[in-house]
Amino acid sequence: MFVTLASGALAALAFLQQIDTTVTAQQGQRLVVDSYGGEIAVKTWGRNAVRVEADPPARAEVQVSSSSAAVSVRSEGRRGPPASIDYTITVPTWMGLDLTGVYSDVKVDGVRGPITVQTVQGEVDVAGGEGTVSLRSVQGAVKLRGARGRIDVHSVNDEVRVSESSGEITAETVNGDVALERVDATSLNATTVNGDLGYDGPIRNGGRYILSTHNGDITLAASESASATIMVSTFSGDFESDFAVPLKETRKGRRFSFTLGGGSAQVSLESFQGTIHLVRPGHGNRDDGDDRHDRDDDDSNR
Amino acid sequence: MTLPGTGAATLEQATGRTDADAVDATLAASGDAHAFERLYRAHLGRVSSLVRRMLSDDDTDDVIQDVFVRAWQKLGTFRGESAFGTWLHRLAVNVILGRRETLGIRRQRHLDGDMALESVPSRRTTPEISMDFEAAIARLPNGARQVFVLHDVEGYRHEEIATMLGLATGTSKSQLHRARMALRRHLER
Amino acid sequence: MSDQWTDRLSEYLDDELPPDERAALETHLRHCTACGAALADLKRIVTRARGLEDRLPDRDLWPGIAARIGANSGEARAIDLGAERARRRWSFSLPQLAAAGLALMALSGGSVWLLQPHGNVPLAAHPAAPTMPVLAVGNSAASLRARAAGQSYAAAVSDLERVLQQNRGRLNSTTVQVIERNLATIDSAIAQAQRALDADSANVYLNSHLAETRQRKLELLRQAAALVSSAS
Repeated sequence: MFVTLASGALAALAFLQQIDTTVTAQQGQRLVVDSYGGEIAVKTWGRNAVRVEADPPARAEVQVSSSSAAVSVRSEGRRGPPASIDYTITVPTWMGLDLTGVYSDVKVDGVRGPITVQTVQGEVDVAGGEGTVSLRSVQGAVKLRGARGRIDVHSVNDEVRVSESSGEITAETVNGDVALERVDATSLNATTVNGDLGYDGPIRNGGRYILSTHNGDITLAASESASATIMVSTFSGDFESDFAVPLKETRKGRRFSFTLGGGSAQVSLESFQGTIHLVRPGHGNRDDGDDRHDRDDDDSNR
Repeated sequence: MTLPGTGAATLEQATGRTDADAVDATLAASGDAHAFERLYRAHLGRVSSLVRRMLSDDDTDDVIQDVFVRAWQKLGTFRGESAFGTWLHRLAVNVILGRRETLGIRRQRHLDGDMALESVPSRRTTPEISMDFEAAIARLPNGARQVFVLHDVEGYRHEEIATMLGLATGTSKSQLHRARMALRRHLER
Repeated sequence: MSDQWTDRLSEYLDDELPPDERAALETHLRHCTACGAALADLKRIVTRARGLEDRLPDRDLWPGIAARIGANSGEARAIDLGAERARRRWSFSLPQLAAAGLALMALSGGSVWLLQPHGNVPLAAHPAAPTMPVLAVGNSAASLRARAAGQSYAAAVSDLERVLQQNRGRLNSTTVQVIERNLATIDSAIAQAQRALDADSANVYLNSHLAETRQRKLELLRQAAALVSSAS
């Protein structure tokens, strides 16, 4: 069933097992989804319209409404606990997203506007995003690909992965790894408490990079042409480097700094009790030790 | 040019100290007494040395305390543009000089002029060299002693000393020379 | 004894003579042993002066200073994590993030970071009220605002923990478990950092690491509390 609505109209589609609603979208509108459980899957198309497909249980009511600021999708449980509803929503590529759920997994593909996602028990997997990209989950991995802008990805109990993205990046979790692959960060704040950190991407002149973990390893890839002042801080961890770096202990307690090239970027690698690795690009920012054997092949490049 | 009061300390140690000082100064500025205590312990040696050599009288403990109390009061004005130690040192000099001026009566205890130095016999027949040297510094006339301590012990330049003591630069230079020549004469005994 | 040559020796030694006078003095020094001896003595004096050791006071002056600045060291409170809650001193610092151009850790808006001598409290317990001073990082105006704000880290933590404790039934039990597990992870990291810091209290890294880890705890508690209040 396709229903096209003018701005301000409300479509209450109760008692239907299958929802398939399309509303027009105007530049400047965001998609706002307020979900409780289930999956929110967003994809894109070339039309200036938003299509909402869902299969709510009978007791749930899905509301799709439109205002000047947003196309909003929400569900109301008419009785009993809130329902778990899977949504498939197709939006114009330019549309920004504001997706909230509790037990909701969120998947986004192809959006080139700002994206905000919040869920509690659910995975977040976004391909796209431009401008402000903020993805948060409590229990669930957060993955982002292909985003540009101010990127903020948070989990609590699971990993955070960002790849093929660029901009100012904050990536945090408590119990999980933070992996940044083929990422071009002009500034980076990557932190975890119980987990490893890896950054494999250019180190920009004048950039600031902070990688901090309590119980985990850090692997930072730097190319020969990197220009960075690198400060390594650890309480009882180790430091290993592919580069020959002159180390000066400036204090007891394992905190030292050294310079690559002109020392333009500021890099801080902090691990309370893990190992901090400085590697050449492409030599793995995973925590499997096997990658290290590959480095022997490149010794001739030093 | 050497850093003020570096003495045996290396530049690296100074740099390392600066980080911790900056942190503690910030904390202390908003009331963290523990942070201030750390600063006190870190800089006590230099402040105490400066006070004891500049004043060479017996109330130096009070003055040392005065310095740190004033520093606590003035922490809000520390902007972090210089190292904390530098800021503290200048503050100490101000406290020392301020005290000297208000204690006009005490001043008369110190004899001025080279005559004072020549009239005092050398104290020890078997000198421990550095104590002898310290004693000799203590016997210098006030003005010469202060310039000597600020320039040769603490490493300030004549322009700075002239500003601090309210002298002309030329006066600072001649006082320094007097002090050095007096010390030389004393050490010959 | 003073003559035009010996009077210039100090300036010569300190490299403060203009070139022509310097040249003239050096010419003189070549054949004046008295001046040469004087110069050597002056050098020795300067060297000795530069090498003078610190002269410390005979007694510890800190108690007197502490009393005058109004910091009673006897009141320093310290919390142990054990069941007995023994008290031990601790200290806490932040790096000069402002100088580095990074945002400071904000607590409730503005540049306020609050410290308190409190350890890690499990979700179910209610900690005692703290009395440590408010700390602000930033310029003087911000410091004053921070003092006026007057909230403390411990109060914030205890408020949030109370909210969670009272409302945990609203959250799914798995979520509660996840939050508690992660709070425990952070608490454990805080404890380790604290112990390390006790042994090396001036360590800048440990200080900032402890601060940041405490901030993580606060953020997680806030997040949890927000979840609770939005749960229906």
